[in-house]
Amino acid sequence: MLKNAFLMLLSLAIAIGGGGASVWYALKIQDGVGAIRIGQWTAFPDIGTPAADPYSKARVAREGVLALGRAEGLSFVAENDAAGDQLKRECTYRIEGGFPTARFWTLYAADQSLGVVETGKPRLAALQSYEVLRQADNSVIISVGHHPMQGNWLLTDGSGRMYFVLTFYDTPIASSTGLSDVSLPRIVKAGCDA
Amino acid sequence: MRNVLAALRRLFHAVLLGLVGAGIVHIVVLLLVPEFSERDAWSRLSMASDLYRMNRLDAEAGGAPVVKSVDPLFYATACRFDLEEGMVRIKAPGNVPFWSVSVYDRNGHNIYSFNDHTATGGKLDAVVLTPAQMIDVRKDLPEDLQGAIFVEAPIDEGIFVIRSFVPDDSWKPIVSRFLDESSCELQDS
Repeated sequence: MLKNAFLMLLSLAIAIGGGGASVWYALKIQDGVGAIRIGQWTAFPDIGTPAADPYSKARVAREGVLALGRAEGLSFVAENDAAGDQLKRECTYRIEGGFPTARFWTLYAADQSLGVVETGKPRLAALQSYEVLRQADNSVIISVGHHPMQGNWLLTDGSGRMYFVLTFYDTPIASSTGLSDVSLPRIVKAGCDA
Repeated sequence: MRNVLAALRRLFHAVLLGLVGAGIVHIVVLLLVPEFSERDAWSRLSMASDLYRMNRLDAEAGGAPVVKSVDPLFYATACRFDLEEGMVRIKAPGNVPFWSVSVYDRNGHNIYSFNDHTATGGKLDAVVLTPAQMIDVRKDLPEDLQGAIFVEAPIDEGIFVIRSFVPDDSWKPIVSRFLDESSCELQDS
């Protein structure tokens, strides 16, 4: 009798503990279903829409996100550079290449929660397309680092993991047909502060 | 020996049963999270302000942002509404480089969005209403609603968000004023 009770408790513990923990884990990892990857950049075009999968819906409810609508824009997040290494706040990077069609775009350096990196200076860790210098072929080269650099400079500060968030506003790529042949800029590591 | 084997088999059964149960619990919890979350956008906003009150979402207005992760180069404001009480009209005066709006349902799902290119003369003037209210309004369109954008949403409670682009520091006061002067009003019908 006691053995039976023990086995029942064991089953219940595994069911409730395992079920709960697996949901918590699935919601914690950034990656997920419905992601679209272009180079190092990831977007979730369906997040925050009624068509989203149950995992995205749960994440939206838990984090209180109000996702951008299709007519507003589309956000891409990068967590690795072109070599596949994690982005670090103490390193310098070059973001170079062409940008897809949009009315304008913004780029910012983000921390784990995807909020903008605090620089402690009046200059934000953010850039937008109206203020960048362009190459002759309309591509853009952006230098990311702690110290001022010539050309387009995205200021970062601190140390630890970093993410880049690139958002295109009023863009045809937000409709899923436009996403197939989009190319996004490359992220190349230039060096790290020791 | 036989006893040990039998006990092991029963233990194996119990673990297997537990794993199947874990699968069921996983699905149930996943589907219940949106229903019971107290951290979703609606709950956060309702702690910050009343229905039909615009509430800034960016940190600029002081304090921590109510709803997380808006673009640092954007200011945003939101109001909650309940279409069961009547249709709601959102207006914002002035010209800014870019604005976009989204209508969300109670669970924070984006129902409808548009931007300044959609509006007549770039003016933000929108009415959110249910399909049933739309039929009533169509019969006899009030004079002052003629230029408005009608958003038909099959929902009752919802959130309306205005986002506006701040290209550089000189635009901050203008964009701030644009959002602070925006209104979110219950229309008597």
